[in-house]
Amino acid sequence: MERLWGFYTDKTWVEPFLVFAIAFFALGTIMMFMALVFIRYRRIRRQELVKEYQATVEEILMGVMFTDSIFATIVNDEKMAKLFKSPLFRQTLMDGTLNLHRNYEGQYAENLEKFYAESHLIRDSFKKIKSLNWAKKCLGIEELAEMQVTQAFDTLVELSKSSVRPLKIAAIRGCIKLNGTQGLVHLVKHKDPIDTWTQLSIIHALKKGDIETTKGIEKLLTSSNKSVVSLGLKVIQALKLSDNFPAVIQLHSKTQSDLIKSEASRVMAKLENFN
Amino acid sequence: MLEAINFGSQLSMAVEIYLVLILLYAVTIMGSYLVLGYLSVKELKDYLTRNSFVNYEVLLSSEFSPKLSLIAPAYNEGLTIEENVKSLLSLNYNNYEVIVVNDGSKDNSMEILIKTYDLEVVEMNLDIKLITKRIRNIYRSKNQAYKKLLVVDKDNGGKADALNVGLNIAQNPYAVCIDVDCILDKDSLLKLAKPFMENDGKRVIATGGVVRIANQCVIKDGRLIEVNVPDRMLPRIQVLEYLRAFLLGRMAWERLDGLLLISGAFGAFDKEIAIQAGGYDTKTVGEDMELVVRMRRYMLENKLPYTVSYIPDPLCWTEAPENATIFKKQRSRWMRGTIETLFIHKKMFMNPKYKLLGMVSVPYWTFFEFLAPLIEFVGILITLVFLAFGLLNWKLFLLLILFVYVFAVMFSVLGLLSEELTYHKYPKIKDFLKLLGAALIEPIYFHPLGVYSALVGYWEKLMGKKTWGEMTRQGFQKKPGS
Repeated sequence: MERLWGFYTDKTWVEPFLVFAIAFFALGTIMMFMALVFIRYRRIRRQELVKEYQATVEEILMGVMFTDSIFATIVNDEKMAKLFKSPLFRQTLMDGTLNLHRNYEGQYAENLEKFYAESHLIRDSFKKIKSLNWAKKCLGIEELAEMQVTQAFDTLVELSKSSVRPLKIAAIRGCIKLNGTQGLVHLVKHKDPIDTWTQLSIIHALKKGDIETTKGIEKLLTSSNKSVVSLGLKVIQALKLSDNFPAVIQLHSKTQSDLIKSEASRVMAKLENFN
Repeated sequence: MLEAINFGSQLSMAVEIYLVLILLYAVTIMGSYLVLGYLSVKELKDYLTRNSFVNYEVLLSSEFSPKLSLIAPAYNEGLTIEENVKSLLSLNYNNYEVIVVNDGSKDNSMEILIKTYDLEVVEMNLDIKLITKRIRNIYRSKNQAYKKLLVVDKDNGGKADALNVGLNIAQNPYAVCIDVDCILDKDSLLKLAKPFMENDGKRVIATGGVVRIANQCVIKDGRLIEVNVPDRMLPRIQVLEYLRAFLLGRMAWERLDGLLLISGAFGAFDKEIAIQAGGYDTKTVGEDMELVVRMRRYMLENKLPYTVSYIPDPLCWTEAPENATIFKKQRSRWMRGTIETLFIHKKMFMNPKYKLLGMVSVPYWTFFEFLAPLIEFVGILITLVFLAFGLLNWKLFLLLILFVYVFAVMFSVLGLLSEELTYHKYPKIKDFLKLLGAALIEPIYFHPLGVYSALVGYWEKLMGKKTWGEMTRQGFQKKPGS
């Protein structure tokens, strides 16, 4: 302690310390400034490239949809083959394909799905859901679900058990997109609580998706997980599923939970109003 | 002779100890800024990644979205109240009501509201839980288009009293307290409401959003349509200051779950807990910070699991003081608010019963927010004494000044970098250069002004000043034709 105090009162360290700290902070400032300039430049460059790629992508996709262009003939062009190797181009192509798929049905949508498979964009999506990064997984799920890749369903069921909220939501939404309400039934055995935000996201996915049948929703009311039961009740109310009225009455009479009982009462009242 | 030598060595020892303490203080404060900055950037990055998968339409179209009551106290806002209320009524959200509380304005605010919104007096059975000044009348619109609007006319009692009236009247479980003259992002309520639904076993008792400076920005129909950096140096530096405070400070406290302040300009509260904790304190001028501290204290003392959430998106835009006089009034009031809150809750200081809040947040505010200006002022005085007695080592002194200056510039540039990497709200090169210039000027112009204002705050507190002081505003730049 005495030596430390002696060193301190000696004062020889003060000047080097200050000079070092000033140099360190100044260097930090310069580096951050350069990073700022670089980020700005990169953003502008990227925007220009995306704009350029979008024009090419539009041309390709219009050909695929309306003139039955085949991928093999597209990549025969050397320039195109080179472009297809660029990750940014592939992502722009992916975004374009998904956007069009959202807006078209029937033969046009099928053409896009075929192109998605042939151009190996599907491989990019599968690579994403295998990634360790949950955000990439989410992107992959959205892509596969939009393009109706049903063989991904089991993987999505597994991913819906994740404790990472956005991944769980993306996976359940994907399940719904691929399998309608049947994509929800596996939640009956779900162990963790499903928070309100996730529940509302699921209901939104059900409302937005073209769900042909709502059969099986009542199974959610039999879960031992209260949050899943609550989800089931909310779905019945939001989609006005009057057919499930008896299941709600049964739940109301059997449940021990006050919260579920009051939710069930509310749903029963709403269903009666609909009728 | 011996006594004189003894005294001299004792004095020298005292100076040495003082210098050690000051050095430790400076290194700790700089270190804490860097640690908080690092945590904030990390939290910001996580938030943005998570948020990129969020679809807010979920809330917009849902009957299950949390029901909100917007409480907007208004005092002498006649010039802008019509447009401001209109913008509050057109926010993107389903389940909400707007409660405008006219706090005994002396201007024609009430007449404008009655005429514009076709208001009529209504009878309401009130369950008064918080004691407030007398309510004169409650109004609702006869026009169905404004059915969300409720106007309360009351005797003047200050902002906190007006907010308490709003809490008493609010019909919904969540209260969003705002400054009526702020410009809100259209999706601000959607973003503010979401954390209340993400309850991982903890009750979310409050959420807050980032406030940004709107001086010289272009506003149309109560909406921000063009972001600009002000030409005037004082508001321009405040743009930078707010960026640092919100992007590099509060996000870190959110990550640590030790946030003490949700800006009075825009924050949402669990109404039940806010009322149980006693509502806004009308005796302090820092009612926003005081309420958050009291709500947290209430939860901790009752052993209730809870959290306070914070959204880094720029949701609320406000006008910053344009001149030194108004700036001084604002900052001295902020200092008085800090002193009052820390004094009211002094029991929490270094008290392990209050966990991180008592052991880190409150001591941090005490040492680095409350005491910092005082320590700086004492340092200036001692430097002057050294100068008078010819004891000043000029070389070291200049190195020390440079040390502090370069650190301040570096931290501001870090703030700019965070903004660039996240929200990128200032894309124009001209604005970017203006902010960079502000970072270089701030330590020699703005910082001393801030310290002076804080010292005025100490003085006013000692003199027992309790009022807010008039805050004259210039008004926002309007888009022609709006």
